[in-house]
Parts: sequence; C-alpha cells; structure tokens
Amino acid sequence: MASDTAKNLRKECAARSRRTIRLNSLGAGVSAPKRGMKKIINQPEHVVSEMLQGIAKAYPALIYTPGVEVISRRNQGDQVGLVSGGGSGHEPAHAGYVGAGMLSAAVSGNVFASPSPDRVLEGIHLANTGKGVLLIIKNYSGDIMNFTMAQELAEMENIPVRAVVVRDDVAVPDSTFSTGRRGIAGTVFVHKCAGAKAAEGGSLDEVARVAQKAADNVRSMGFAMTPCILPGVGKPGFVLAEDEVEIGMGIHGEPGVERTAMRPSQEIARILVDKILADYDFTGGETALMINGLGGTPLMELYILENDVQDYLKEKGIKVYSTFVGNFMTSLEMAGSSVSLLKLDDELKLLLDAPCDTPALKR
Amino acid sequence: MTFSVKDYVDYCVSAAALIAENKDYITELDAVTGDGDHWANMNMGFQQIVDSRQELENISYADLFKKIGMMMMKGIGGSSGVLYGSAYLSASKIMEDVDNLDINRLSQVITAMLEGICKRGNSGPGMKTMIDTLDAAASELKAALTEGVDERKALERMEQGAKRGMESTARMEAVRGRACYQADKGVGHLDPGAVTMYYQLKTLSDCMQKNAGTEKQME
Repeated sequence: MASDTAKNLRKECAARSRRTIRLNSLGAGVSAPKRGMKKIINQPEHVVSEMLQGIAKAYPALIYTPGVEVISRRNQGDQVGLVSGGGSGHEPAHAGYVGAGMLSAAVSGNVFASPSPDRVLEGIHLANTGKGVLLIIKNYSGDIMNFTMAQELAEMENIPVRAVVVRDDVAVPDSTFSTGRRGIAGTVFVHKCAGAKAAEGGSLDEVARVAQKAADNVRSMGFAMTPCILPGVGKPGFVLAEDEVEIGMGIHGEPGVERTAMRPSQEIARILVDKILADYDFTGGETALMINGLGGTPLMELYILENDVQDYLKEKGIKVYSTFVGNFMTSLEMAGSSVSLLKLDDELKLLLDAPCDTPALKR
Repeated sequence: MTFSVKDYVDYCVSAAALIAENKDYITELDAVTGDGDHWANMNMGFQQIVDSRQELENISYADLFKKIGMMMMKGIGGSSGVLYGSAYLSASKIMEDVDNLDINRLSQVITAMLEGICKRGNSGPGMKTMIDTLDAAASELKAALTEGVDERKALERMEQGAKRGMESTARMEAVRGRACYQADKGVGHLDPGAVTMYYQLKTLSDCMQKNAGTEKQME
C-alpha cells in the first residue's frame, strides 16, 4: 500500500516534469533561465524593461518610456527637474524615488551597467519644465562619463543642467568601478533633500547647492555576507566562504577592505560606525541614520543592526534625529547591509521632513 | 588645401571600409585583452555614417561633426561610443562657421578631439588606449607645422606619429578596461582601440594628401 503510494507519487512527479519540459518547449524563442539560477524572469535580456513596465503599472502617477528605459512623473509640476539613475539591480534605486518631492525622472541602464548618454538626455527632456535640470550622479566612471556627456548634449540644446556627484562610501579611496569613492545608499538622502528643495520652488542653483550640501555631509559604510547573481551571467561574481563576510564591499561586488569571520550584530555595528566616524566628525548637532539592506537580508536583521547602531551612536554622543530602515539601494539578492549617516542643519532637517510621495519613500 | 564636408564624409566611408576589412585581425587582438566586441561596435558605428552619407554631405562642418558624434555614440555604444562622441562634439565646437578643413584647422580638430576624449575618460597617454595613437599624431602634426614643412609632409608625419603611438601600446600595461584585470595587464599585445584609431588617422592622412596634391598641381 505504502509502496503503491510511493510509486504513484513517482509517476506523478515524472508526469509533471514531462509537462514542464513540454511547457518550456512550447515557448519557442524564449531562452530558458540558466540552469541552477532561480529567478522570476522571462529572458535575461528583458529584465530591465519588464521591471520598469511593472513599476509603471503599479504606480499610475509614473510613466515608462520604452527604449530609453526612463521612469518619469506624469505630472512634472512647475519646478526644477531632478534626474538620477545608473545601472539596474539596485532597486528601489532609482525609479522607486520618482514622484512628488523627490526625483522627476530615473534613467536605468542594464544590470550593473551605466545608461548611455542618449537615455540620460531623454530623462533630462522628460524632467525639464523650463527651469533647468539637476543631475544626481553616483561616482562610478561609467555613470560620470555618460551623465556628463548627456549634460553637454542638453546644454547644446540650451537646457540649463547642473550635476552633483555623490561619493559617500568611506570603505575604499578608489575602486575598480570608480574614480575616487563610490556613491551608495547615502545618495537617497541627496535625492530627498534636493527633491524637497525643488518642490518648494527652489531655483536650479538653490537645488544644486542643497544637493551638494547633502552629498558633502553624508557618509556610508557597508558589508556583504553573500554574493549576487546577475540574470545574464547566471553565477556569482565572487565567492565568500560560509562563515565569511566582506567589510566595505561595493554594491556591484567590488572588493572592500577586508574579509573576516561572521560576527555578532553588535560588533558589525561598531566596525561600520567606527569607519564612518574615522572619516567625518558627526559629534555635536543631529544626524539622519539609514540602515540599508542589500536585497537578501531580512528586515528583522536590519532592525537588530539598527538597534545596535543606535546604541553605539548614543555611546559616542551622536544624536539621531531621524531613522530610515529598509532596502533603499540594493545589490540584487546580495545579503548584507550598509549604514549611512547624514549630518543635519536646520535647512536639511526641514527638507528631510518635507512631504514626498514615491513608490519607495513616503513622508 | 581644401577639404570640404563632402571630402570628410568620403574619408569616413574609406575609414569604414578599412575597419570592415580588418574584422578578423581586430577581433583577434580584442579576444586577447578585451571583450572581443570592439570590431563589431566600431564597424556598426562607421556603417551608420556610411548609410547616412547623403544626408551628411550637405550640412555645415559643425553640424557634421555633431551628427557623427551622435551616430558614433549610439552606433559604437559603450565607453568607446561615448569617447568618440565626445571627440566629435569637442571638434564641432571649433568648426562653428568654418566650411573648410585646412591643415592648421586639422591640427586644432585633432587636439580638440584628444582633449575631449581625455576629459571624458579621465585618462591620458600611457594607459594603453586609443589616446596613445591620437596623442602621438597630434604632437607630430603640431611639430611638423611649427617646423613649416609642406602640407603633404605634415600629413605623412601625422600618420607616422599615429603609427608610433599605436605600436607603443604593445609595451604598456593597461590601466583602464578589462585588460587591467589580467595578470600581464595586456603587455605584449597591441590595444585594439589604438589600432582602429590608427586606421582612421591613416585614412584621413591619405585622403587629405590627395587634396594637398591637387592644389599643388594647380599652383
């Protein structure tokens, strides 16, 4: 009897796997996902456009422009335009920050690859209401090259464009992908402050000044516990041992400062915060704190880390005015986290508290 | 010497042909140190210019360079596309209201292109890139003009400079791009980008020498 059931089960399983094979072979021209890669995708080449279509369907206030892969606000308001973007795979950055009080448009490249200048130029066109456009660029050589080229093209069309470069990662002075420090999760604070300034009617110069101030006063430090798999590649770009973490790893898996054994959250909190405080003096005045998940770490763990970071900051005499916990700038399914601190003054405090309505951040 | 917009478009068509002919050689070079797609990208960019040649022949030099810049940016794509786009945009800025490319203007154009690429790529000579070819060509042409040699000789020297610059990349270690991650950093191999840049400068030198020749006969 029992063996009959087992036999039936085996038969059922075999029949199912045959059906699966038939289903696959039905979709002529659809390349099956790579073996051993479990991802909810159709074709690796279509992940970016299909994701952006999904975002536009979920948020009717946003529009997707195919081909150039731009998500922009349906109603751009009467304000300075704010454009950011970069490679995909860092969701919700940056399309998730498009909306009232933050970005006007976000330009997406392929996974971990910078968008080309014609795409960025289209983002500038969509964001421009006649008051000029500010570009917020993360400091990677590809992004700098493509965004500044787009800036030049827009200026040739007499659109006033300014650019602010974010380089908040204190992990390494230079990396394989960047010239100087990388731009990571702290960029979201720059989006928030600049977006609020633009929404309240600030001029291009004022919005650029505020963005630069936020960029100058934000520092971040991260670590990774597992690698991520690019949909088009199908295997991890690097390997970390079971009990190993990499301190200071970049959001594309670029090398960090050191590999070390997995530690308790309290120790990780100290390592990350110490590295930030060694670079910038956050004592006196108030700060905004962001605990960012890299995509594969549960919120439970992010709150545990946040708890420890808060305690350690208190011990160091640093007052936290406002806290953000969540997945703000990810690296696909990489497990790990980053800590960002933004030093606040009265102006930045008001801008941080100002209302915004975007898929990934509401105030 | 006169070298009109139409002459420049003809030069692009000849350069496209030279690049197309060397598919296997460039792809082989690139397979050693790069992604293996440099020839395909360059070829696509140049073929777009060939396809639009009629539209390009009847516009100003400034617009021609702007259009070529955009075509290269989109057609070549990637970093090379942006760098060539930057080169031509820089050049277009010094061709406002100019309808002839004489030898002195050529020297300014080559220098502007070099500056455009270096600034955009945050690079310079000695990094095993196309810059090494262009930089050597620019300085050789400048030196020749300062010495006051005739036009044909100056163009020959530009070509020789470009060749020397290209060949120097074989001895260099890569600092940019994929080759810099390799153990030997590409030492011993020519940089494919430096070679395709040489093809362009060699073709330009040949095309302009023909016109320099005609003028001399007319005198």
